[in-house]
Amino acid sequence: MRRGTDAGALALAASWVLGVALAAAPAGAAAADPPRTHEVVIQSLLYVPETLTVRPGDVVVWINKDPFPHTVTAAGVFDSRSIAAGKSWRFTARKLGTHPYLCTLHTTMKGILRVE
Amino acid sequence: MRNFIITVAASSLVLLSGHAAAQAPSDAQIAAIVVTANQVDIDAGKLAEAKGSNAEVKAFGKQMVTDHSGVNKQAVALVTKLKVTPEDNATSKSLKAGGADNIRNLEKLSGAAFDKAYVDHEVAYHQAVLDAVDKTLIPSAQNAELKAMLVAVRPAFVAHLEHAKMLQAALAKKS
Repeated sequence: MRRGTDAGALALAASWVLGVALAAAPAGAAAADPPRTHEVVIQSLLYVPETLTVRPGDVVVWINKDPFPHTVTAAGVFDSRSIAAGKSWRFTARKLGTHPYLCTLHTTMKGILRVE
Repeated sequence: MRNFIITVAASSLVLLSGHAAAQAPSDAQIAAIVVTANQVDIDAGKLAEAKGSNAEVKAFGKQMVTDHSGVNKQAVALVTKLKVTPEDNATSKSLKAGGADNIRNLEKLSGAAFDKAYVDHEVAYHQAVLDAVDKTLIPSAQNAELKAMLVAVRPAFVAHLEHAKMLQAALAKKS
């Protein structure tokens, strides 16, 4: 019986702390959203979607569905190196900004990753 | 001689474009043309990888081997699934002969002359392949999956052509 009371008190205290924490969070509390995973499909020498907007901490997975390798390269920001046919590459977005990228093997292929 | 070889290889495909209106190739013939066209560029790419003197030319040759091998693997898997047996025809035979002539010509060359001849041929060849894909192969393909595969790989030929043209311009600046 006594244990039950303690547990109840603990839960009450915890919810109070949580409530305070939530109330203290800035209005744009979306920053507390868990990181999301986004997919970009590489097919017929296109990045689909061509432009992707993510939040810092989100994961982007590029999936190569072409029968030959591609790269996902934004000079100085990220570089997948060669992604073989049927393979994928994961990248955690951190640096804020608009990052145009291309395939260094097929430079007609261009995409944009926005981190905001 | 070099210009003659380029003309010969490209004319195999020009012949195909002109020939199309009279008699469209069957799916079995298209399969043979696709596999041969890729193989011809794989063979030239292997030679460039080994004999090229410019690092970018060697890298391009290596990429042609990788990309066209990938396309051929996909094409063979598809025609096997569709139970289509590639059927040799005038165009595939002409492509094969043109490819062999190109290799024979390249084998006689070395250094910058090899690089230029290889890249010039790649520009003409990819342009001719693109024309054939657009004017004959895609319009003639009967099977929807075969047609879809041709449409899907077409951008690779465009990218290769752009890449080869860039190399051609860079080599011209150096000489």
